[in-house]
Amino acid sequence: MSRLRRDPRAERAAQQIARSDGASPRPRYDRTQRATGGRPRRDPRAERAGQRVAGGVRPRYEIGQVSRGEGPVLAPRPQAAPEAVAPKILILEAPAFLIAVVPDAAGGRLSAHDRQVLGAARTLAGRDGGVVILAPDACEGIGSAGADRWVRFGDDAAAYDPAARAARLAATLGALAPRHVLFPESLDGGDLARRVAARMGAPLFGNAEVVAATGVIRPARGRRVEQRAMPGLLTTVAPDAVAEYGGPPREARLLDVEAASMAGRTGPILAATRIPADPATVPLTLADFVTAAGNGIRDLDTFRRLVPALRATPGASRVLCDAGLMPRQTQVGASGTVLAATCYFALGISGAPQHLQGVAGCEHVVAVNTDLHAAMIERAGLAIVQDAQTVMEALLRRLAVEADAGEQVA
Amino acid sequence: MKIAVLVSTGRHPVSGATVLSRLEAQAIRLAAGLGEPLGLHAGPEQAVLREALGQGLVRGEHIVVPDGVDPVPALAARLAATKPDLILAGRRGQGGDETGLVPYALAETLDLPLIPDVVAMASDDEAGTLRLDQSLGRGALRRVLVRGPLVVTIHPDAPAPFAYAYGQARRGTIVPLDAAPGTVEGTGPTVEERPYRRRPKLVKGAPTGGSAAERLKAATGEAGTAASGRLLVDPDPDEAAREILAHLRQIGVLAPPTRPSIP
Ligand SMILES: Cc1cc2nc3c(=O)[nH]c(=O)nc-3n(C[C@H](O)[C@H](O)[C@H](O)COP(=O)(O)OP(=O)(O)OC[C@H]3O[C@@H](n4cnc5c(N)ncnc54)[C@H](O)[C@@H]3O)c2cc1C
Ligand SMILES: Nc1ncnc2c1ncn2[C@@H]1O[C@H](COP(=O)(O)O)[C@@H](O)[C@H]1O
Repeated sequence: MSRLRRDPRAERAAQQIARSDGASPRPRYDRTQRATGGRPRRDPRAERAGQRVAGGVRPRYEIGQVSRGEGPVLAPRPQAAPEAVAPKILILEAPAFLIAVVPDAAGGRLSAHDRQVLGAARTLAGRDGGVVILAPDACEGIGSAGADRWVRFGDDAAAYDPAARAARLAATLGALAPRHVLFPESLDGGDLARRVAARMGAPLFGNAEVVAATGVIRPARGRRVEQRAMPGLLTTVAPDAVAEYGGPPREARLLDVEAASMAGRTGPILAATRIPADPATVPLTLADFVTAAGNGIRDLDTFRRLVPALRATPGASRVLCDAGLMPRQTQVGASGTVLAATCYFALGISGAPQHLQGVAGCEHVVAVNTDLHAAMIERAGLAIVQDAQTVMEALLRRLAVEADAGEQVA
Repeated sequence: MKIAVLVSTGRHPVSGATVLSRLEAQAIRLAAGLGEPLGLHAGPEQAVLREALGQGLVRGEHIVVPDGVDPVPALAARLAATKPDLILAGRRGQGGDETGLVPYALAETLDLPLIPDVVAMASDDEAGTLRLDQSLGRGALRRVLVRGPLVVTIHPDAPAPFAYAYGQARRGTIVPLDAAPGTVEGTGPTVEERPYRRRPKLVKGAPTGGSAAERLKAATGEAGTAASGRLLVDPDPDEAAREILAHLRQIGVLAPPTRPSIP
């Protein structure tokens, strides 16, 4: 039996779209219409679309499925647009046990180290346990850092009496009865932890670099060996060893704990005064806020006036140090000083890789440069594309106005 | 003024040889500024005391205690008998367990106050009081006025130790003492030891349980402040100055203006 002979002309004529008046004079055809008879024509695109599994951001396909291309296998659910709803707060009604965290919370702020300790406590607590933070009143963001409960624990920062603080902490911990207590291994936190350990006669596991329910690990003998033990009552956590808590915010409900108030025994400390670091003389490695000049600065006198006005430590790029315009010990970068500052303010610095290495550890960078495409501008949290000279003068003017206003009030 | 410096057996960080730890040498230097430093060591060997004599100790006392025994009771008994006005120790040992608990345990047993992380000491005008400068990190200090006797631990930012003097080490005397009987084996938590393993560095800003992409973002600085960075192109210089000052104040590195707000 012979196949029917095709008549392409007639087929095309059947596909031609009827023309309404005023439309383009070219004939137009609807090629999607299947020619009657013969093999159906494949449409790979439609088949592929038909294999698509609904949902998800990345397209996923079910290759085994052969569809005729009449649309997706499953109708795609409308994508839930990433709405800006506040994440749901996790509430733990009855924690099986408590993990206490005693942060430094210097100045009423959780430091990065404090948040890491909270992260370690969260891993110890697991799903059933609760993390209780012993923080002063003004501390904010403790819920998002991973605390389920909050016990008010703080004293006025001006008075320095670590022995009384440790005694109060030991009493509070006695009333709370947590399973583990974590401290940051910082100057203050490490001191407090050792005082509490000596007072309670409990062993302390100091400077832990790994914290998990299955064991804590600390370095010893000059990092030749590491010691591992099951988590005990008191542990201090090394800085930058444990990740912060990254989950949804927690409740941080206020717990009222009755701790025996300490009788006011006058301590041996007669007076304590804080002497802030002098930014002009503090070594660059220890400086908290560095203002640095680069090759883009022509008028270094203005820069030298600006640095003390901002109460910053002066820094410079290598070009200025090589030219003898700034002392060598102010050089920031790979062959100079690697900073550990909180903030770096770069004026007229292009941001060469050797320079950026010195700034890698800085939390915040502010840059002023005339070149929009400078690497420093890319690195900066606040970038200003403007002539540094005029910006420095404007800064000085503004600081002078503020100082004047302050004097008038005083 | 009678000053006791606690000398422990340190290990050299590279060679592992028995040395005096740097912090204790610094403690000897600080003590020499106030009076005659006397050394006290509890342990099986006296070699480290000999080295401490060369660093400026006047006399050393060696309490013979076998290895692995808690030195605190022996040290406490001797210190209770000699009653020094000031007891100096390092903030951490070097090359041992490095827990830094010995000074705290001593202060608790002897019921003395303890001031940690001291970098400078001077006696005050009033008799029996001391002016101590405590390191708060980042070059900041706390000046504390205290009445002795007390225990003080030394911070590495204290002045560098004296140079070693061989003749002084030869001339100095070391008094061997026997530990009071009844010292018990140290009962710390049971620990398991193995060679140190370096752990991957924590990427700042990457959340726990984040994906590889998030860690990469955090490592290359695309996350955090740089991601949410503000860019001002050709602003008015005064406008730029206002922005910069506001930003610095928000970070907390610049003190707020003396008056709350400037129009
Ligand atoms: C082995 C080696 C080690 C090095 N180590 C270091 C190091 O430790 N530290 C270091 O700093 N460098 C180091 N360098 C040098 C580094 O490669 C760069 O040459 C140097 O950092 C560039 O300095 P700069 O940004 O100040 O100057 P430039 O690269 O000349 O940049 C000047 C910038 O200022 C901008 N500018 C110009 N006029 C103005 C204006 N009026 N207002 C605002 N902005 C303006 C320009 O747009 C430009 O971006 C090293 C180099 C080598 C080879
Ligand atoms: N066996 C010891 N004899 C004398 N002093 C010690 C001894 N062990 C520790 N110390 C002192 O306590 C400090 C802290 O040591 P550690 O608690 O071992 O980290 C040291 O720097 C010493 O000053």
